[in-house]
Formats: sequence, C-alpha cells, structure tokens
Amino acid sequence: MSLDHIVSVTIGGLTVGMIYALIALGYTMVYGVLKFINFAHGEVFTIGGYVAATTLFALGVKEGTSGPALAGALLAALVASVLAPVAVGFLIERIAYRPLRGRPRIIPLLSAIGVSIVMQQLIIIVFGPTPITMPTLPFATASVTIFGVEVRVLALVIIFGSLLLMGALTYLVRATRIGKAMRATSQDMEAAEMMGIDTNKTIAFTFVVGSALAGIGGLLVLMYYGSLKFDAGFLYGLKAFTGAVLGGIGNIPGAVVGALVLGMTETYGVSVDLGFLAWFVVAGLVLGLYVQMVRVPRRRLQHIAEDRRTPEYERSILNIYRLAPYYAVKTLLSERTDALLSVSAKHAVRLTLGNLFLVVTAAIMFANGSARIDTRWQPVIAFVVLMVILMFRPSGILGEHITEKV
Amino acid sequence: MATAFFERIRGVFARVPRRAYVAAALLVAVLFPVLNTFDVVQTAWIRVGVLSLLFVMLSLGLNIVMGETGLLNLGYIAFFAFGAYTTALLSSPKFGLQWPFIVLLVLSALIAMAAGFLIGLPTLRLRGDYLAIVTLAFGEIVRLTILNLQPLTNGPNGITGIYPPQPLGEAISKWLAGVGLPEAVTNWLVIDKPNEYYYLVLFCVGITAVLLSNLKNSRVGRAWNALREDELAAVSAGITASRAKLLSVVLSAGIAGFAGSLYAFYSNVISPESFIFMQSVIVVCMVVLGGMGSIPGVILGAIVLQALPQIIRESAGAARSEFEVYRMLIFGVIIVVMVIFRPEGLLPDKVWRREVHEEDPRELEMTRQSLFDLEEGEKDLEV
Repeated sequence: MSLDHIVSVTIGGLTVGMIYALIALGYTMVYGVLKFINFAHGEVFTIGGYVAATTLFALGVKEGTSGPALAGALLAALVASVLAPVAVGFLIERIAYRPLRGRPRIIPLLSAIGVSIVMQQLIIIVFGPTPITMPTLPFATASVTIFGVEVRVLALVIIFGSLLLMGALTYLVRATRIGKAMRATSQDMEAAEMMGIDTNKTIAFTFVVGSALAGIGGLLVLMYYGSLKFDAGFLYGLKAFTGAVLGGIGNIPGAVVGALVLGMTETYGVSVDLGFLAWFVVAGLVLGLYVQMVRVPRRRLQHIAEDRRTPEYERSILNIYRLAPYYAVKTLLSERTDALLSVSAKHAVRLTLGNLFLVVTAAIMFANGSARIDTRWQPVIAFVVLMVILMFRPSGILGEHITEKV
Repeated sequence: MATAFFERIRGVFARVPRRAYVAAALLVAVLFPVLNTFDVVQTAWIRVGVLSLLFVMLSLGLNIVMGETGLLNLGYIAFFAFGAYTTALLSSPKFGLQWPFIVLLVLSALIAMAAGFLIGLPTLRLRGDYLAIVTLAFGEIVRLTILNLQPLTNGPNGITGIYPPQPLGEAISKWLAGVGLPEAVTNWLVIDKPNEYYYLVLFCVGITAVLLSNLKNSRVGRAWNALREDELAAVSAGITASRAKLLSVVLSAGIAGFAGSLYAFYSNVISPESFIFMQSVIVVCMVVLGGMGSIPGVILGAIVLQALPQIIRESAGAARSEFEVYRMLIFGVIIVVMVIFRPEGLLPDKVWRREVHEEDPRELEMTRQSLFDLEEGEKDLEV
C-alpha cells in the first residue's frame, strides 16, 4: 500500500464522485420540489453524452485534432450537451409529469419509469446499439504530476469544473429570485402559489437546471472514459440516486457529499487491499461506539422528567448501553417495566448486533488482508451502500430537506 | 351520435353476467391445447401459451403490491429468479439432486418470500417510493450475483438439464407406472410435454387467481386498498401500515417464487439473461395495461403483452434484435399513455378507478346516484 497508490485512488474516487454529484443534484432537486423520483434522469445524462459525441464527430474531430479547432469543437459540444438535455428534460416534465400532478403517488412514478424505457429505446434507434467511442485526443490523455503521482488533467478539470457548477447552483438557489421561488415551491406548493409564484414555471426550471447538469455530466463521462453505452444512464442514474439518498434527499449540499462518499467507497472498494479497507471498518466501529456510549444515552436522558433524574437512573441508562445483552434478556423476561429503559435496552441490543457485525467483518477482512474485491462486484457495492443507509439512517448523512404535508 | 352508439354496445356487454365471461375465458383456456391435437395450432403456440400463463401468474403477484397496496416494485423479476434458481439447483445434475416437485414449489416460494421480507423490512417504514428504488437495486444485485457466483450458478451459462416434474413424487410414479394403468393416465406421471405443462401451469394460475380474488375482498385486501388510498386515514382507522405492506410485499414475492419454480421446470434451462431489469418492466407494463387492482384486467394485460409480440414476430418475420428494440419502446409508450389517459387500465377495478378519476363525469354521476334517489334527485336538481 504505497502512498502514491492511495493518492491516485483518492483522485479517481473524487472524479467519479463529482460525476455522480452532477447527476444526483437533478434527482435531489426534483425530489425536493415534487417528492418523486425522476427515473428518466439517467437517460437525460446519456443523451448529453451522445449529443456531445455527435457534435464532435460532426465538426470533424479525429485522432490528433488539436489547437483552436479542438477547442471550438469542445465548446460546441459543451453547448450541445447542455441544450439537448435541457430540451428533453423540459419536454418530459411537460408531457409526462405535469398532467399527473395530484394523482396517487404511484402514477407519476410509473410514468417516469415508462419515459425512461422509451428514451433508452429511442437512443438505440437514433444512435444505434453499439457504444460510441471517442478518438484519442491529446487533451483527454494528458497528465500532470502532483505529489509524485501522475494525474490526468481531465480528472482535475472534472473535479474543479463540477465544484464551479455546484457553486453556481448554490448561488442560484440561495441568492436569486427564481431560487427563492424554488425553495418556496418545495416547502409548500399551494402557499407558494398564493404568494404569486408561478409554480409550473418554477418546476419546469428545476427540471431544466437538473437536466443541464446531467448533460454536462454525460459529456465529462464521455471524455474521461472515451466511450458511452446506451444503457449507461441506468447504472449512473441509480448510483447518483444512491448518492442523493446517502446525503439526504432534497438536500443540495447533501447530494454532493453523498455522491462523493459513494464514489470514494466504490473506487476504494475495488482498488485497495482488504487489509487496508478493514481500517475504515474499524474507524466506523470506533465512531459508532462513541455515538452509542455518549451521544445516544445523552439524548435519552433528555427525555427523562426532572423529578426522576437521580444519579442512579442516569447511570442505569448508561449501563444499558454498556451491558446491552444482559439488559436485553431482562427486557425480554419483562423484568423491565420502565418504558424508557425497555426502549433503550431494545435499541442498545440492535446497536450491539451492528457492532458485532462490524467486528466480524473487520476480522474477516484482516484475515484476507492481501485479497481484493473483484471489479465485477463494483456495481454491487453501490447497491449495498443504498440498502445499508436505508436500514440505519434513511434520512442520510446531512438529513433530508423535504416537508411532508398532511 | 358515435358516443351513443358506443354506449349502446357497452350496455349490451354490460348486461351479460360476469360469470359468463369467466366461464368463456376458462373454456377457451382449457380447450386451447386440444386444438393442438387436431393440428389446428402448432406446438410453438402451446409454448407461447405456457409462457403467457407464467406471466399471468407474475402479474397477479405484482398486482398485489402495485395494484392493491399502491407500492412500486421494480425488481420483481429477482424473486422470480430466486424461485427458478432454487428449483434448478435442487433438481438438476448440477449437484446431482432431485427433490420432489411439490417440495420444490413450496420451498421456492418460501425462499422468495424470505427475500421479500428482508427487502421489505427496512424499506417499508419509509416513504413508499423508496421501495421502488430499493427493489430496483435489489433486482440488479441478484442478477449480478447470479452472474458472478460461478461455482454455484454457472454464471452466464446458466443451469441446464432440470428434471421434468413428477407431481406425485418419484417413488409413487414409478410404482404406478408398473401397475399397468392406461397410457392416458401414465403420461401425467411425468410432465414433459408442452400440453401437460400447459395444464399444470393453468391449474396453478387458476388456483392463484381464485385465492387472490378472495383475498382482495377480505379484511387484508381492504386494508391494502385503504393504505393505497390514504395512508394516514388508514392508520388512524387501526391498520398497522408496515405490517400490512410487508405482508403484501412478501406474498407477492412468494407468488413470483412459485412462478419461478414452474418456469425452471418448464424451460429446462435457466440463465441470468431471463432475469434482467427489462423483464420487471414488462410485468409492470402488463399490470398497468390491464388495470391495477383488477384481477381479470391483469390477466388480460399479461396475455396481450406476452402473446401479441409473439404473433407479430411470427407474422412479420422481423430481425430479432430490431424487433426487441421496438417492442420495449412500445411497452414504455404503453405505460406512459396508459397512466396519463386511462390509469385504470383496460378492465378497471371500480375502487381504483374512482381514486384516479375524481373528475370523471360518469363517476360523479354514479356517486350522485348513490347519494340521492335515482331519478327524483335529478329532477329536484333541475327544478
């Protein structure tokens, strides 16, 4: 495990994470405003990549093209990869989602999945089923040396370009009039309408912004990997959504954080030895133990009425977390009659089982220290992360930003 | 003029009792293989029939989650895969095992149910749409695991040589074969011809349909419908939301596992490519087309969408891959068009139709008629 390797893996993870983040922003914004998963978003991303490639080919970009010709073509591709997805996103919202507002929840979800299928097949019909491959461009393969590690310029472009876009998005949402309208619409659509906000226009704008970001993501993936397949949007979309859930759906900074965490997890998972990964598990365990022993009991203690706050009672709450299995048996035998104590005991047992799971996982990983996870399993990692986050913290790392109206 | 004409036709059809339709459909289904013996239809069509029936079963199962409870399951085919692989591993030369047919049917369903339980338990406490994305992810995990777990599943090659089912068990079948019964009876001891498979699957589908239509009208079914309509109101009426939802997910997974087991027996060979995401979408499309929550509708949807493409493919003779693209395109279009213009499906369920079409004048009329007295209420309003 050399340091060089770690640095290059980290930069790889950041690059992938940034691309996920660009797509995840679209999911999270739409979820924040409309409370539904826009399944077709992944296909919008693919269209961005395909249109960019078509533009580049149409402008005669070949192997070895360089200088102003390449720069002009890239600019044109960038514009195309924004405009086409924007048009598609706008049309999807208008045709397939707007007529369905206010219907039972499953209806727009079904429409979204239908649109996603239609778009994927249209991509095959229009561009053909073979994946598009880019000619090798000097710009795309160039690399610089940072900390003694060869890093592709393109990776840096993706990381900093995405940061720039996210900064712009933050400004848009926080400081402009339309951003205010977006926030108001996501809080309460009816009230926003009463305040004179054109919610239809605002929602359409949300789709447009999300699609533009996804389109740029498509262009970046195309340049970075050199090829794109018609069903790439499915997997990228799923992973980006996982990132959005991981960070807390509806939460714009959360989407970026979640996507980065997911990108790192995925990249580290398959390119680092298990013995090294095990230290992450150990770190998670230590963090978990801290939360269980200190934070959770403290929160439980807040629920105790003033008159019962004797030192003995407070100590018994702490003891539950220290001696979880013992108190679990006591609770099961219904010797515990105190409601709070029995709830705490159940919670403590669940946490202890989680700890045990982590200990066993870490032990297995240390035992097979020099093995690696096969790249074939890479897609599975994202799904496992999704399942785990939904099981243990469904509101995500930074918490959800959506208001459920009754 | 035209609408009056259609209304009249609708009236003619509405006057025929529902039981007559069911009887007619059953008659057609039962007599279909008989046509094969007289060479009216080819054996290939019997195979199409068996597959259609298997998809009817899948759609019936998915309908519990999608139609009755209003949750979206996008990895439904994974439960089908669980059933198929359970059967294939325990009744093929792969491990040299041959478990009894009935045991495998039940075991496949149970294993799929366990998978459904594991998926449902953490996600059903959350907002409904999370189930859609988690099941989507789950479907992919299962497919990738099957592909990558070479020692157990043979990876992309799949498992071959699944033994034909013997409904009475191996020992009894062997003994009965020696007793000297007529050939018409002994043929059924080992089910290995398309006709026999057809009747086996038809029998299973029939039982499933009857059980599910009873369940729909039971306390459980009404709890599901109430959750679909308004979760908050349902919970305040005393329904334990997570338990009812979990039951619906687990039950539908079980039906998929059961269908998967039958599929493995029938097709003799199973491989991961039968369990891709698009298959899940196809089942979703069947339910949407036929009518969510309506058992006759779902059956119709499955038969139409499974048999029609086959008929078109046979008659057009189009290139297979090209045809596949257009088929999926049409399926996608069907989903979108149906949910926008006719979300209640071809043969709608009454309750669901009222839910999605609150502005439908015909429904308003019906509600008004049930609220007031029929004609008198109308007259009062006009005066």
